[in-house]
Amino acid sequence: MTLEINSIKKKFDEHVAVDGISLKVGKGEMFGLLGANGAGKTTTFRMILGLLDPTEGSVTWGGERITYKRTHLVGYLPEERGLFPKLTVKEQLLYLMRLKGMKKPEIIKEMRTWLERFQVPEYENKKVEELSKGNQQKIQFMAAVLHKPELLILDEPFSGLDPVNSDMLKKAVLDLQQSGTTIVFSSHQMSNVEALCEDLIMLKRGRPVLQGSLKEIKRSYGMKSISIRADYKLDFLQSIPGVLSLEETKDGAIVKVENEKVGEEVFRMISEKGFVRKFEIEEPSLHDIFIDKVGGDADE
Amino acid sequence: MNNFWITVAHTAGKRLKSKAFLWSTIIMSVIAIGLMNVENIANTFTGSDKDDEKAQSTIAVISDIENAEITELLSSYDEGEFNYVKYTDGSLEDAKEAVESSEYDYLLALSGETVNLEVEFYGAGTDFMLAQQVRTEVQRMKETVVTNELGLNEQELAMIYSPINFSELPLSENGAVQTEESHMQSYWMVYGIVFAIYMIIILFGSMIATEVATEKSSRVMELIVSSVNPVTQMFGKITGIGLSGIVNIGVILVAAYVGYIISGATYLDTMLRDVIDLSLIGYAVLLVVLGYLLYGGVAAMLGALVSRAEEVNQALQPLIFLAMIAFFISMFGLNVPDATFITVLSYIPFFTPQLLFLRMGMTPVATWEIVVIITILVISVILINLLAARIYKGGVLMYGKFSFKGGIKQALRFSKKEN
Repeated sequence: MTLEINSIKKKFDEHVAVDGISLKVGKGEMFGLLGANGAGKTTTFRMILGLLDPTEGSVTWGGERITYKRTHLVGYLPEERGLFPKLTVKEQLLYLMRLKGMKKPEIIKEMRTWLERFQVPEYENKKVEELSKGNQQKIQFMAAVLHKPELLILDEPFSGLDPVNSDMLKKAVLDLQQSGTTIVFSSHQMSNVEALCEDLIMLKRGRPVLQGSLKEIKRSYGMKSISIRADYKLDFLQSIPGVLSLEETKDGAIVKVENEKVGEEVFRMISEKGFVRKFEIEEPSLHDIFIDKVGGDADE
Repeated sequence: MNNFWITVAHTAGKRLKSKAFLWSTIIMSVIAIGLMNVENIANTFTGSDKDDEKAQSTIAVISDIENAEITELLSSYDEGEFNYVKYTDGSLEDAKEAVESSEYDYLLALSGETVNLEVEFYGAGTDFMLAQQVRTEVQRMKETVVTNELGLNEQELAMIYSPINFSELPLSENGAVQTEESHMQSYWMVYGIVFAIYMIIILFGSMIATEVATEKSSRVMELIVSSVNPVTQMFGKITGIGLSGIVNIGVILVAAYVGYIISGATYLDTMLRDVIDLSLIGYAVLLVVLGYLLYGGVAAMLGALVSRAEEVNQALQPLIFLAMIAFFISMFGLNVPDATFITVLSYIPFFTPQLLFLRMGMTPVATWEIVVIITILVISVILINLLAARIYKGGVLMYGKFSFKGGIKQALRFSKKEN
């Protein structure tokens, strides 16, 4: 089933939270939703889940809206983590998964498999408030995937995790994708997005500023980054029109330029000046693109 | 619907399993058993003493009247609760001193003539019931003396003292009439049930609001409402807490009944058989349930408007005030159950549970009126809950500082149906 969003818009009175997002995610694909805080990611997710109605446009999955009849096919990891602090892991999962239509023995079996996988089988009868934040997040993740959803929405799944747990979770997400789960996730950790998704959309104040496959975006993105190592000062390069920024490193500089043409100009200027140990034009990282596109809006 | 019952089971189960619930139920049950036996318990400690004390109460009688017959009769009278002793050792002042020095318990001073007898009763810390008793006894002695003087025979005496047959009858065939006894009994029953309605509304209302606010503040709410319709969840919660409340009250009632059996009293049997109309109990249950649903819906809505459990009390205040106003009006209305303002106010849904029951328990209420008032209440329950459900649906997704106006506005915006 394909998730299709057709130019949705959400207005709260005068405030426009989301404006003109369209996207398509096919079965088994992983889609990234990027944006600074307050860019409209959570509102978009809530509209996908049917918790909020879009003011304009539509969200369909397999041609139909997601209603409470189909929520057992959907898994959701909200950005604001939350479980019942006073209930044990088993009690919460029993309640939350029953709401997804699972039966008790099935829930227990799946829960043990996942606890085993996350290397915390001893937490079954522990109260959630006794667990560390990272471990709570594992339980939260289980609450989103235990019922084997066909569509999985992950809002900032990796925030607040240490590298070990982050990798563990990343691997779990990839495995789910390989088994055919359609996944939409948001993040402001660009490295995770680069590692996981093929397609993405970048939002700024509710509007898409960039959209497409990760490779396409990087290749066609005008801005390039030049890494230079030289034995002399490089700050004179800043005067070349088309140089966006120059960041000095201990034995050279990283220069951001508008396009490859400007890069050639930089190379010419340097070769006039003298010998260089390194001159390399690199594709921009997603991080650079994000900063460039979202810029001052990112408040993190 | 299935998710509704899962929510009901989860809400009720969590509550029933909690230690707080267990202990409060046990403590309340013990108190209920104790209250039923309060007389027996008191008697164990003081009972026997009390009887002795009464028997030993001596009253010094100082008489200023020529005919000494009354004084004689009093001092020879030993069926009563007092021991009357003729005081001849001095003046009234001496007698008073004798009482003060605890030689006697009370002092009775008689003066005037037999027919226009003047009686003064002296005593410290006496209750009025005691003086009444003394008065009755002196009155009886006087009557004996006077009838003797008149030379009436027993038959004539019997004619004077034979009681009249006084009976109260309703005007219409099915109308009700209150005897003094039934008035007192329904007074206390109405008082009890009105108070129970008030407690149920406040206790369970705040339980609902706290439950909702806790789920919101722990942020588990967003996860839940992604699986189950918030409206279903809200009614599941109201039902679940209602069920745990029924268990709670049921256990306490059983305990009270056990206590009643232990106490060996019989007033409940008489009350249930003679005084209380069983249909009235049915109406009480109906009004409790409707009142709970009305206030519960509003409480759930208010709970959904706050983001932190600490703000629940602030949000609940208006609702609690409303219940309190209804309660105080009822307390006042117990003495004037047929006042116009009670009749009028009983039509207002938030006052109906307490005031309608008050009216039905204390005065006859026309059937058509009961039907109209309960219909208004049922319609209000439905409308209020529909509105509460809309606000709840938006409210559970909303975080921020609590305010009534802003909160409700924002919640309605969130739950807006757009296409």
